[in-house]
Amino acid sequence: MAVNTQTLKRATTQEPPKPASRYVGTFFRYLILSAIGLVLFTPFILAMLGTFKTDAEIIAFPPKLFPHNWLVKNWARVWNTDLGNGGTFPRWLFNTAFLSVTVAVLEVIFCSMAAYAFARMEFPGRDAVFNFMLATMMIPAAVTLIPAYVLMTKLHLINTFWSLILPGAVNAGGIFLLTQFFKSIPKDLEEAAFIDGASHSEIYREVILPLARPALLTVFILQFQAMWNNFLQPLLYLNTADKYVLNVALSIFQQQFKAQWNLTLVGAMFNAIPIMILFFIFSKYYIEGVAYTGIKG
Amino acid sequence: MTTNDPQGSAIRSSRTPVAIAAFFVVVIILMTIALFNAPTMGGPRVMATASTYLAEVRRTALPFLGAVALLSIVLGLVAARTIYREWPHPRRRHNLIMGYLFLSPYLLITLTFTVGVVLFAFYISFNNYDIFTPPEWTGLDNYAKAFRGFTNPAEKDFLQSLHNVLWYSLIVVPTQTALAILLAVLLNARIRFKQLFRTIFYAPSVTSSVVITLIFMWFYLKTGYINFFIAKSLGIFGLSWENINWLGDPRGLIQLIVEAFGGRIPSAQWYLRGPSIAWMAIMFQNIFTTAPTFMIMFLAALQDINPTLYEAASIDGANAWQQFRKITLPLLRPIILLVVVLGTIGTLQVFDQVYLATSGGPLGTSLTPVYIVFREALGILGPINMGYASALAFILALLIFFFTFLQRRFIERGTELY
Repeated sequence: MAVNTQTLKRATTQEPPKPASRYVGTFFRYLILSAIGLVLFTPFILAMLGTFKTDAEIIAFPPKLFPHNWLVKNWARVWNTDLGNGGTFPRWLFNTAFLSVTVAVLEVIFCSMAAYAFARMEFPGRDAVFNFMLATMMIPAAVTLIPAYVLMTKLHLINTFWSLILPGAVNAGGIFLLTQFFKSIPKDLEEAAFIDGASHSEIYREVILPLARPALLTVFILQFQAMWNNFLQPLLYLNTADKYVLNVALSIFQQQFKAQWNLTLVGAMFNAIPIMILFFIFSKYYIEGVAYTGIKG
Repeated sequence: MTTNDPQGSAIRSSRTPVAIAAFFVVVIILMTIALFNAPTMGGPRVMATASTYLAEVRRTALPFLGAVALLSIVLGLVAARTIYREWPHPRRRHNLIMGYLFLSPYLLITLTFTVGVVLFAFYISFNNYDIFTPPEWTGLDNYAKAFRGFTNPAEKDFLQSLHNVLWYSLIVVPTQTALAILLAVLLNARIRFKQLFRTIFYAPSVTSSVVITLIFMWFYLKTGYINFFIAKSLGIFGLSWENINWLGDPRGLIQLIVEAFGGRIPSAQWYLRGPSIAWMAIMFQNIFTTAPTFMIMFLAALQDINPTLYEAASIDGANAWQQFRKITLPLLRPIILLVVVLGTIGTLQVFDQVYLATSGGPLGTSLTPVYIVFREALGILGPINMGYASALAFILALLIFFFTFLQRRFIERGTELY
């Protein structure tokens, strides 16, 4: 940890004159970090360049970094695909966005309600329910997968968005995160409000929710991403082309286009770019959320 | 408490009917959820109307409902007793009602889609069940069938999938954890653009596993970038490289080593061959995308370490490596535990990559338990077999619990040494 001692020395003692070797070390550190960043981004750069290649170029060996002619019409070709039955690209994009937003909004509402009860109210059974919730977090998704599918057929929810919205509307991880956050909010404010005769629902709405905005945004974003990237449930529950989400459509693409990887890659980019943009805008909340709980889609 | 005034006594006398009502509300809600999750046959004929469904429930699912009824009566009694006790105190009554109102969306959804569903799966795992006919009780048959591969090589799929995911966890979890710590320590320096680097490192991990898998499938083609890169790198040393089809290559790691020394491992001893090339290719891709996620968790933990510890250590003459070993690692232990547990849970349940890239092949070397569960439940290779699929899911869950418990014991005991 040379890093930390350096930080420390600089912080504790008066700034000592820097030896020239220090600059070389700093230079190498930036070099290494940039190299790692580049390596981590390589798949996207190569895939992005691949989207502009011709059918022959994309599987040619040795592969060339840049396309010979930039084939922008690949993107239009994918955008205009029609699997029949109303299965078009704009439709899948809409489905995915709609589901992600709906699930994330519902989750923020319901999780924050439950978290308020856990963090701020005293009633018999509260701790038992909280422990029960922690226990349900241990159940692997594989166990609920099949019986949930059977339940969905019984409720006639197969091939409707409800099959993803209803079970997705609450999430134990989100409740846990918000409970911890609510507990960290000082109680002074709401005690004053209590004396003024405010009810629990008023305190929840007017004191806690405004103060918890960063945590709510974190839950929203993590859940939005989890739904956007969800594959197994949509694959099971949605089975006509007009209901597909991007991930499911992509897997079908790949089977249809086979060797036309340029087209499959365009589809992959359509899926990846929105979530990356969202990440760059909200990266602070994102990273805090992951650091806090380790929940990620 | 103002229990002496007339209003108070009116509330006091109303507590008995309210408690009885609470009992019935709880029982009715739980029984409704159980009814939805009752193990009956599905299919359009049964599901046509509520009455055809109820008739079917009466015919086949009464034992299940009876068991759930006992449970819900107990919970109903607890609820009634609580109401009876809390009702006379206005403040506590208010808290009780509001508390459960706030929890109700969570409770209803979880009871229906998690608890009810798990009870159903547990019941079904002892049955032969294909949705279209009533479940047929077979006892422990499904569980026995999972391990029949020990005696009958034709039924080795599940055992092989366990073998595969164990290799997977064994290689992926330590590698991604070590890489994540390394990345976090590199980033924890006092550098400019720290936030920018952090964002760039993490960005690839936010995309879906489907996208990453498709990109890597293209990389792994015989004419893909991976072969190209290896050929180029070896070319520097004057070595040649024969392109291989990464995701279609069933040769195992141990098998390759043994064959390099002139030995041979016959296919009947598949379990000695080690992880196949296809499987290791998927591992590589997984490490690539998961390490940055866990890096974020380590970075947060590193920033919580008190810098005076390093100050004291460097005054005592500890070098950078000693400081890392004696300060950083011990203080990171709780996060390491969390990351290892989360990593293991994740790796034991691999699905997306397998479904997209290999469908379990080549020669079953990338089969995973979740993929088999999916396959059996949908009847992709043969008849639908929900009961067997559920039994496999429960075996997997047990395995996950076991590993979580083991790691907790193991790593927590390690912490006590410090």
